[in-house]
Amino acid sequence: MEEVINSTPSAVASTAAQRQGELEIEYTPSGARRNGVSGWRIMFADLVESRRLIWLLILRDISVRYRQSILGYIWAIIPQLATVSVFAFLHASRVLPIGGTRIAYVAYALWGISVWQLFAGCLSSCTASLVSSGSLVTKVNFPREALVIAAVGPPVFDFVVRLVPVVAVFIWYGVTPSWGVIFAPLVLLPVMLLALGLGFVLSIANLVIRDTGNALGTVLTIGMFLTPVLYPPPVRWPFFLVNLLNPLSPLLTASQDLIADGVLTRPEMFVAACILSLVLALAGWRAFRVTIPRVAGYA
Amino acid sequence: MSTDPIIRVEGVSKKFCRSLKRTMLYGVKDVARDVLGLPQNSDGLRPDEFWALDNVSFEVKRGECLGLIGANGAGKSTLLKLLNGITLPDKGTIKVAGRVGALLELGAGFHPMLTGRENIYLNAAILGLSKEEITEKFDAIVDFAGLEEFIDSPVKHYSSGMYVRLGFAIAVHAEPDVLLIDEALAVGDAHFVQKCFTAFSQFQRQGVTILFVSHDMNVVRRFCQETIWLEVGTIIRRGEPKNIIDLYNAMVFERIAAKTQQAKSLSAADIASRKSVNSAQRFGTGAAEIVDMTLLNLQLRPVEIVTSGEETIFRIVVRFKDFVSDAVFGITIRDKRGLEVYGTNTLWKKSKLKSCRVGDVVQIDFRQNLMLGQGDYFVNVAVNEKRAEGLVRLDWIADVIKFSIVSDDEFMGFCNLNSEISVHFI
Repeated sequence: MEEVINSTPSAVASTAAQRQGELEIEYTPSGARRNGVSGWRIMFADLVESRRLIWLLILRDISVRYRQSILGYIWAIIPQLATVSVFAFLHASRVLPIGGTRIAYVAYALWGISVWQLFAGCLSSCTASLVSSGSLVTKVNFPREALVIAAVGPPVFDFVVRLVPVVAVFIWYGVTPSWGVIFAPLVLLPVMLLALGLGFVLSIANLVIRDTGNALGTVLTIGMFLTPVLYPPPVRWPFFLVNLLNPLSPLLTASQDLIADGVLTRPEMFVAACILSLVLALAGWRAFRVTIPRVAGYA
Repeated sequence: MSTDPIIRVEGVSKKFCRSLKRTMLYGVKDVARDVLGLPQNSDGLRPDEFWALDNVSFEVKRGECLGLIGANGAGKSTLLKLLNGITLPDKGTIKVAGRVGALLELGAGFHPMLTGRENIYLNAAILGLSKEEITEKFDAIVDFAGLEEFIDSPVKHYSSGMYVRLGFAIAVHAEPDVLLIDEALAVGDAHFVQKCFTAFSQFQRQGVTILFVSHDMNVVRRFCQETIWLEVGTIIRRGEPKNIIDLYNAMVFERIAAKTQQAKSLSAADIASRKSVNSAQRFGTGAAEIVDMTLLNLQLRPVEIVTSGEETIFRIVVRFKDFVSDAVFGITIRDKRGLEVYGTNTLWKKSKLKSCRVGDVVQIDFRQNLMLGQGDYFVNVAVNEKRAEGLVRLDWIADVIKFSIVSDDEFMGFCNLNSEISVHFI
């Protein structure tokens, strides 16, 4: 009756498997490592199994965030408008020689910063997800990647809220996006995957060493200036390196391309960045699965 | 139902690190080895590490209720975490043949800002219930928790008792094969605790296995068929709750005694093994010694089988080896499960005794009607000295007398209240 499987010690691996038939779970010192295809199969089975949980966690985080607040969702917009206002002033007053952009600068900067904040928001919320869940990580066994994946939800929601001022500014400046804008969500998907992949690794790192969360804030602040968010992609050496070495740059540029004229200027870079994002997301997920039982006690 | 063990723990060890700095260092190293697929050399201890659990092996049968007892830091909670698969053992294997539900912390996973209703849906999803299952069981959960009025208030306004009620209600309705509970019930009120134990009994009939950690020995006595006593990461004893708890209490007593007398402290294992040599469980300072103990009928003949309601005498003979100014003699009658049925002593009964000198031998008779229900009973005997700081055990022996009660009357329960019943039309 009992088929003994040397499964990963994840609750849903166990519960999912057990619901199908009565299986026996085994926990051993090296139990978290399960190589090859079967390891991936269990991970995807768990993911499918926990899709509703992920959805509930997203709803929870979004609904809880502004419950005890007056301005509520407006807080999603305020930081973005503040940053853009400062740069619009610097640009207009020519204090900062920012080169010409294909569309009106304010529209360009607002879109760029929205995409950047989508990435930065996803990454910091994923990184904090395990630490902020506390006893859920230390005292309950379930596929805990659900927490990290669900952490992408609120920043995506914020992004959607931020589209309101973006659209308003586009209309104000008379910017008509090209028909290619309908593909923009496809470009944003790898942005989220990239953040998720890094977020898997950093969430674990943050459990073990809390410096990770603090360091991330600083790194993201610098990162924004190393990405063509508030300035057009540089063309001169060595500055154009930010387009090549920063995996986010091709994704951001592609989204700007789609808005401006519907044609990708560097399709090969975009494809490379997409592949990198996907690989990072899968590798990060795998690393997360292997290490979570070891570090669960650190939360 | 299979009689195979549902839980098998073989040679399991788990280590922890005392220093937070080293914890981070080891964490980084271990995680790196995991990711790179290098073998972990988890057998040895690195500086500042210690075994929280050391080579623990046991099995639990389906439908059994097992109590884990032991001092703080004995490794009880660590063991439950390993059984739940939250952390992995450093050595050994754990096999669980069933769905595990756990209540390891008060309201683990509740979000304070969400209402009780929202938390039920979320928590049940975390425990792996489908939407249909949750909807179906929602009312039963709320009803079990007794929170109808507060179900739409944020749980941050709940009392700790309400927290645990909600958590327990959800855990129970997830229909686990194995339920792990870590002291969580301690904060529930009497009514709820009673409800939980009714649920426990029901569970056991359905073949659910329950493991729980408790410091309430009466709860362990009442509900567990088996008890494991953990001490500094190792299993000291396993067996019937009555025996294990007596040993455990004896150890606690000797620890305190050893401390007050500045004597070298004995390890729990030493005490346990010494106790088991003297077949009966016994402890005390030794200033007095119980030399004889018998149950007599009114013809002063020793008896082992007593008819319910019969008048009997417990006769104790005590020899004093030291000067004792104020001695107190007592007996406790317990049933098979170890539940105390009746206990009395000379202090409560205000029967005076002059001080005793070395070599004095004293006989004490306890005379009473044994108005008890049918079954087997055991008697503990104690000689204490009344001091300013309280009673001090001079000698105490568990289960020194065993007797059975038989009855011609039909009734149920512990005792025979011998009701007079009148029936008439009104």
